[in-house]
Amino acid sequence: MTARRVVRAVVFVALFVYALISLYPFLWMISGAFKGRSEILEGGFLPRAFTLDTLTQTWGRLHFFDYFLNSLKVTGLTVLGVLVVYSLASYAFAVLDFPGRRILFWFFVALLFVPGITMLLPVVILEKQLGVLGTHIGLVLPFVNGTAPLTVLLLTNAYGSIPRELREAARSDGASEVRIFWSVYLPLARPAHVTVAVLTAVPTWNEYVLTRVSISDPSRYTLPLGLESLISSEVPRYNEVMAASLIIVIPVIVLFLFLQRYFVNGLVGAIKG
Amino acid sequence: MSSLAVKDRPGRLRKEPSGGRSPRRWPGWLTGWAFVFPAVALFAVMGAYTIGSGLALSFAKWNGFTPTWNWVGVQNYLDLLYADPVLAPELRRAGWNTLQVMIAVPLLTVVISLPLAVALNSVRRLRGVLRSVYFLPYVTTGVAIYFAWRYVLEPDGAINTLLRSLGLGTLSQPQGFLGNPSTALPTLILVLVWSSVPVATLLYLSGLQAIDPHLFEAAQIDGAAPRHVLRRVIWPLLRPITAVIVLLGVRDTLHGFQIFLVMTNGGPGGHTDALALMAYRLSFFKGLAQTLGLASALGWLLFAGAVLLTLVNARMLRRVQ
Repeated sequence: MTARRVVRAVVFVALFVYALISLYPFLWMISGAFKGRSEILEGGFLPRAFTLDTLTQTWGRLHFFDYFLNSLKVTGLTVLGVLVVYSLASYAFAVLDFPGRRILFWFFVALLFVPGITMLLPVVILEKQLGVLGTHIGLVLPFVNGTAPLTVLLLTNAYGSIPRELREAARSDGASEVRIFWSVYLPLARPAHVTVAVLTAVPTWNEYVLTRVSISDPSRYTLPLGLESLISSEVPRYNEVMAASLIIVIPVIVLFLFLQRYFVNGLVGAIKG
Repeated sequence: MSSLAVKDRPGRLRKEPSGGRSPRRWPGWLTGWAFVFPAVALFAVMGAYTIGSGLALSFAKWNGFTPTWNWVGVQNYLDLLYADPVLAPELRRAGWNTLQVMIAVPLLTVVISLPLAVALNSVRRLRGVLRSVYFLPYVTTGVAIYFAWRYVLEPDGAINTLLRSLGLGTLSQPQGFLGNPSTALPTLILVLVWSSVPVATLLYLSGLQAIDPHLFEAAQIDGAAPRHVLRRVIWPLLRPITAVIVLLGVRDTLHGFQIFLVMTNGGPGGHTDALALMAYRLSFFKGLAQTLGLASALGWLLFAGAVLLTLVNARMLRRVQ
């Protein structure tokens, strides 16, 4: 019995240690964000002179409020685009019958294996020609396209698991295809849509690579670019950097805490599907 | 995916009432095409065209400004692989780093997340809270968290302070963990493991919960020691999940370079350069030099590598199942 107790204690200690490792950079992020300019250079964990100035200054004077709105706009439009475009396509893949269905479906899924870097340069060149490089729409279009594999996989699975009898019943009541999609499939597959929305929103919110090479006008910066502009100054003020990081991370954590099961279901479903 | 195999033409199951004017009188395929049109159109512009022009560009030299491309055939590929005295060694070093990351990250991820999932599965209290905490690194992965890591890894950062206060001062890095050429890459590997453990743990946990609890009881009644249960019962049942985790890890290291860009930008002295980062540099940071074709060629080499590794992995996956 005591041996068992020891094992349990060891298990709990190990679990707590890894929890601490998981939280480690966040804890320092929070600690740094509440320190002033002089204290950030000292080592201590708890801020001695706890201050909100760093956060408020970063939010206001360093324009993080504007970057926040830009990020919100880009993320919102991307999520909207993904939901509209791929719910339609996935509905067709799951329940409609048309020539080219299987080929197109597997084609979209196979795009998962095209590295982002292979597409990055041609996308930038194309957008320059189209004149959308450096605009928010120029970010949204490739972001939407980039989510295709995972989204199509998740939504096609979700629509495919809805009993076909429902569709046949609606058809015999004279409902059009659009009506069936809108009134039967969309409501029944709502959890899958939330999953797709969160799995799209989080990487879009954090996206940095394409954004960095395409946006040059500071008034269009998203949060990650704003953050980067802080660190590229000669002597980075880590209290401001950490405050900015906190501003980026908090919405994601809040989203995660409220919609946790959608993250979990989505990942398990996407990988097993 | 079974739904894809279902064959029933719209309108065949049920006799249509006469005198229809509804859209279902349309040929079925037209409706189907209408539904996929936005996705296909977007892909045609953002995907097909860019993939095509990228492939073409990989056979040319161009700096992004001159009106014409100079066609050079496969020269870009040859330059990268062995012909160019500067690029080829650079590629080899970046490739070696990428390979190390590609092997170490999935391996360490499995080594950490499997015991973690088993431990988490064995406790009832706090399981939900701990799972949320473990999952945080995944949802927040990105620039912000990489900067936080940079902050704690600085020469005067939290990790050095921690090591010194624990009396492990010899392990501390006066140049910072990212500033020392010999610790920079291992440090990045550990940060990558840190951000890939959440998904792996979650997958293992869902796999463990799917295992019939009677199996454990049977093993216990037979007097099997816990480590035998782990090795003989749990590990074989979780092998498909392990294969998926390895596949994801390999894919992520080949595709992803944000962490390299943000945390070290390949430094110090190229010790943390990666293939995708090299392609990024050739794409956007060579000014007027004609490197865009080289960048495209490297992108396609990466693509070929990804496909190859996926096929190998899928084969191994089939064998273990």
